[in-house]
Amino acid sequence: MKSFILVFKRSVRPLASRRIYWLTMVVMPLFCMIFLTDLLREGLPIKAPAAVVDYDRSELSRRMIQSLNGAQMSRITAVYDNIGDARRAMQRGEIYGFYLIPENFQSDLLSVRTPTVSYYTNMAYYVPASLLYKNFTASALYAKADVLSGLLTDVGVDTEEIVPLLQPINIEVRGLSNPWLDYAVYLCNSFVPAIMQLMIFLTTAFAVCQEMKRATSPLWLRLAKGSVIRALSAKLLPQTIGWQIMMLFMLWWFYGKNGFVMNGSWGWMILSEMMFVLACQGFALFVVGVLPNLRLALSVGALVGVLSFSIGAFSFPYESMYGSIGVFSWLVPVRYNFLIYIDQALNGIDVYYSRIFYVAYIVFMLLPLLVIKRLKRELLNPVYVP
Amino acid sequence: MGVMIFVVLLPLAYPVVYSLIYNPEVVKDVKVVAIDDDRSSLSRELIRNIDASPEVDIIGYAPNMDEGKNMMNMHRCYGLLYVPEGFQSSQQRGEQAYAILYSDMSLLLRYRAMLVAATNVAQQMSAEITSMRLAADGSETIILGDIQDVFEIKSVAMGDTTEGFDSFVMPGVLILIFQQCIILVIGMRGGAKNEMSLYKTHDKKRGGKHVTDKLIGQIACYATLFVPIMIYLTYYVPLMFSFPMIGDEFEILLFLVPMMLASIFMGLILQRFVSEREAVFMIWVVTSIVFLFLSGLTWPRYAMSDLWLALGSFVPATWGIEGFVLMNSCGADLSQVGKPYFMLWLLSLLYACGAIAVMRLRRN
Repeated sequence: MKSFILVFKRSVRPLASRRIYWLTMVVMPLFCMIFLTDLLREGLPIKAPAAVVDYDRSELSRRMIQSLNGAQMSRITAVYDNIGDARRAMQRGEIYGFYLIPENFQSDLLSVRTPTVSYYTNMAYYVPASLLYKNFTASALYAKADVLSGLLTDVGVDTEEIVPLLQPINIEVRGLSNPWLDYAVYLCNSFVPAIMQLMIFLTTAFAVCQEMKRATSPLWLRLAKGSVIRALSAKLLPQTIGWQIMMLFMLWWFYGKNGFVMNGSWGWMILSEMMFVLACQGFALFVVGVLPNLRLALSVGALVGVLSFSIGAFSFPYESMYGSIGVFSWLVPVRYNFLIYIDQALNGIDVYYSRIFYVAYIVFMLLPLLVIKRLKRELLNPVYVP
Repeated sequence: MGVMIFVVLLPLAYPVVYSLIYNPEVVKDVKVVAIDDDRSSLSRELIRNIDASPEVDIIGYAPNMDEGKNMMNMHRCYGLLYVPEGFQSSQQRGEQAYAILYSDMSLLLRYRAMLVAATNVAQQMSAEITSMRLAADGSETIILGDIQDVFEIKSVAMGDTTEGFDSFVMPGVLILIFQQCIILVIGMRGGAKNEMSLYKTHDKKRGGKHVTDKLIGQIACYATLFVPIMIYLTYYVPLMFSFPMIGDEFEILLFLVPMMLASIFMGLILQRFVSEREAVFMIWVVTSIVFLFLSGLTWPRYAMSDLWLALGSFVPATWGIEGFVLMNSCGADLSQVGKPYFMLWLLSLLYACGAIAVMRLRRN
């Protein structure tokens, strides 16, 4: 116990005094949390700049432009005379889409010559373009219904019969738990833990491998009376405490301060984050054990950490990936953090359904045991390769 | 060796791995369970049509909502298609028949797929029913038959015309990888210099009389290293994965020159503040995520607050991504991306002054 305290004390000092630890453990995580939640504060990027190409310039086309302008998701910034101007504005990045009303639209409509209304969205900007697409579709259908109901009323169809006549089948899509498609809820809950995972990987590998680089690891092991487990746990415990505080802050920041969807129990979420920290540290120690070299361990940690943002399947679903690639998503701790968040915070279902994910954390925690012998050998005979 | 990893592995292998993850491009066959309380021919037709859509796969039936929810909780499906009792009879009465598709919201791409399937199927079935009803009901036939298509609606996707996720995100990410690779390589070299005093004296002895001479030498050195990488990232990687590439390749390279210069100067400034190679690495890795969001690729810049807008303006990749995406995916020419191009030269100038100032400081 005495030796444990000695090692513990020895590792607290650099945490407080070295700038790098302050940066990786406090400044960067806090900045990323606040940055992401503040950036996505609005939930959806409303008022996407868009344009109208009005070849018709009739009373009807003006009314359609007005209804487009009133929509929440788009903002008509220009009305062009021809499609070339609109395309060039899109290429300059001034607008994300445009709506085209053809020549003689109103007169063709009245003389039943079936004109075509078209809209163009710049899918190279996926999010605003998707919103514009939704908006344009709704406006076009609305305009169509408007024209049709006018015609139908003229021939004596009752108003309440119009909707079933035009749209006899309706499938309503209801989003569970986040019906507002709030991007802050959607992105922060996956990206911030992934950032934490990356920082934990790097900081853990750095702390351990630096002992080897500076050849202080034999002294460290001697302080711990030759026990690698004691040496590692005492050394990393101060960091563990630091990460736990950060994770608790994150939970409060998300579900307390910013009011993100929290349909489940705080207890299971807190447990998940506590175990997540240990799982990430376990993963990092495993990497260090396999590659006991500061630069290599950091490189692998960074590579896995950054790839986790995509392989973690936070945006592109796991089952849509190639099987041989998707399988790697199960090899990173943050994947389980994301799945537990979906079950416990977003959907608030019974913890029974998430049990496997908690077990996965434990597997990550035990990973370093596989390389413990090799780690001890390396710590006793540190070789620094510049 | 450290530098070699970042020159070879990071820009060569990383974009390929990244692109492979998203390469299936579109989300197909999202698993949905059906709950049919109507058990009519119309409800069966609806479920069949949803199943036939490319976006959704009906994996089975559940006897009631509770069972359906249980399937969802077990992560077997991501949506529940609920057809309430009276679905067919209300349609026959001339009322609107409605069904509900409950969607899990953990991933927006899944939700989007379900939304598209539901909208398409509802419209297609509606059109069929309306035309059938017209055939049966003589009185309204003529008028309705004429006005059913008062006007047609056509949607055209520009830029990423296949609407694939890989083709949307990767062109921007490639530019970010390019910037981060330049800054890391140069920053790490600085760390090596500061760590080994041997290097330092060596540098001082050999360094030219003028800081600018030395700067020009360094730019020439780094440019020969990074220009091939630039061509690989902006031409060969998009070619490999058939991303949109409708821009003029030569103009794109011309556009990226100031982006490369600005990144080199940023790296040189960073060198000054690096005491340990590993330290710069640890901090710099996470900035990639911040820069990705600042660039406006996922969250558009028009929706950002002034603070983040201003901060993003100082990152070369922000303008690099904007210009590259517009040129490469939307076919803009150099004159149309004048603003980002100007901003990149401005940043180059700004960071060049910074680099000179920093190098002067070091000499003294």
